[in-house]
Amino acid sequence: MELFNSESKKIVSDPINVNNPISLQVLGICSALAVTIRLDQAIIMTLAVVFVLCSSNVILSLIRNYIPTRVRIVIMLSVIASLVSVVDELLKAYLYDMSKQLSVFVGLIITNCIIMGRAEAFALKHGPSKAFLDGLGNSMGYGLIIIVVSFFRELFGAGTITLPDGGAGYVLWRIPESWYAAGYENIGLLVLSPGAFIILGLVIWIQREFAGVEEDA
Amino acid sequence: MYSNNYTLFFVFIVTVVLGTMLSFTKDSVKDLQDQNLKADVQKTILRSLNFDESLLLTNESIEQTFKSSIDAKCVNVEGEIVECNIEEVDIEKNEDTLPIYIRMDNDKVQGIALPIAGKGLWSTIFGYIALNPDTDSVLGIQFYKHGETPGLGGEVEKKWFTDNFVNHPIKQPGGEIKYVPKKIRDKSGKIISIKVVKGGVDYSESNTSSIHQVDGISGATVTADGVTDFLLEDLLRYEKTLDKIRDYGTI
Repeated sequence: MELFNSESKKIVSDPINVNNPISLQVLGICSALAVTIRLDQAIIMTLAVVFVLCSSNVILSLIRNYIPTRVRIVIMLSVIASLVSVVDELLKAYLYDMSKQLSVFVGLIITNCIIMGRAEAFALKHGPSKAFLDGLGNSMGYGLIIIVVSFFRELFGAGTITLPDGGAGYVLWRIPESWYAAGYENIGLLVLSPGAFIILGLVIWIQREFAGVEEDA
Repeated sequence: MYSNNYTLFFVFIVTVVLGTMLSFTKDSVKDLQDQNLKADVQKTILRSLNFDESLLLTNESIEQTFKSSIDAKCVNVEGEIVECNIEEVDIEKNEDTLPIYIRMDNDKVQGIALPIAGKGLWSTIFGYIALNPDTDSVLGIQFYKHGETPGLGGEVEKKWFTDNFVNHPIKQPGGEIKYVPKKIRDKSGKIISIKVVKGGVDYSESNTSSIHQVDGISGATVTADGVTDFLLEDLLRYEKTLDKIRDYGTI
């Protein structure tokens, strides 16, 4: 099959927009709350999820015809867990500060419903190239939302915008002191989990409006 | 329907392949991870001793700074210097060999960092407390390893918590507030350590021991109590050494 025909494009773009795993299917919320305090954490988390979801989808799709149905969940989980462990070890070796900040949440990618969900719903039924595109689309759909949420949480909660670098993060921009002197204040609530819920709720609303989704009353 | 033998065989193969992949990854990055870990410990020590952050950006600069300005040695409970391999001392279990890191500048002691470790709620918390040469006021405190709940007990490693130990507000006659470090010794010079109190420290004048107290973490009383306990226990182990440094300026 062709890699860039309209069907393939749809596999990638659908989960980013009209069928977004977070805002439409409301999956992967835990980590969307936990790793969105700072933009750099969300970006690294997105990369980790892109890697895990794409590879797990491809691997499982390649062996889909050989997996005994009875043990398929165990097999899926082992593949996903191994990939996550690899990411965790690599982070500890090459991005130590980031791995400390993300702490348990990298390991918890294993339990992210999006990964298992895509494996079960898509990878076991389609060929590797489609499975790869599906993984790419879904992980980027996830990433898009957490990056948007973390951008607003960090900007209004902590007053900074931080990009990932080799160490503790590169502060791209911070709210100038003069603003604080003029009476501006950071919204502390946004740094806490309830703040994430509020921002996430707003993002879901806007995204659904944008995608033209209506739920049955 | 697959046969049982096939299923077992398949699971076995998958396990072997994944296991090999994992051990291969771990093996190839282990050296790097160990370096990071070592640098992280050294960074914690340097941070507690109030080194400038710009010296702590890369593993190389951390090692360089550590080598050039830290005098690392071991003492025993009596305050005598003993031989040791300082990187391999188990600070949690070994109670006779006590590592001590002294920041030297022109042959004068600028600060003393001591390892602290003890049980929080879920895990052992590891860190360093640094004292000024008077061996009374706190120069800094840092935690680098723990398994406490992020957002609750995990807050011990955050700046707002560690800053508590060096920011004791004192109201000046003019109404301005001056910040001084917290103290680990009482008026008679006995080590009484610093208490993490539930809620916040009562800074009214009736609370005469507020200089020995820091704000607790809401939702993490057990972790805070753990910190209070092991801080006192560990500081007492160094009492004779600290007395010596206070009285003679060296060990």
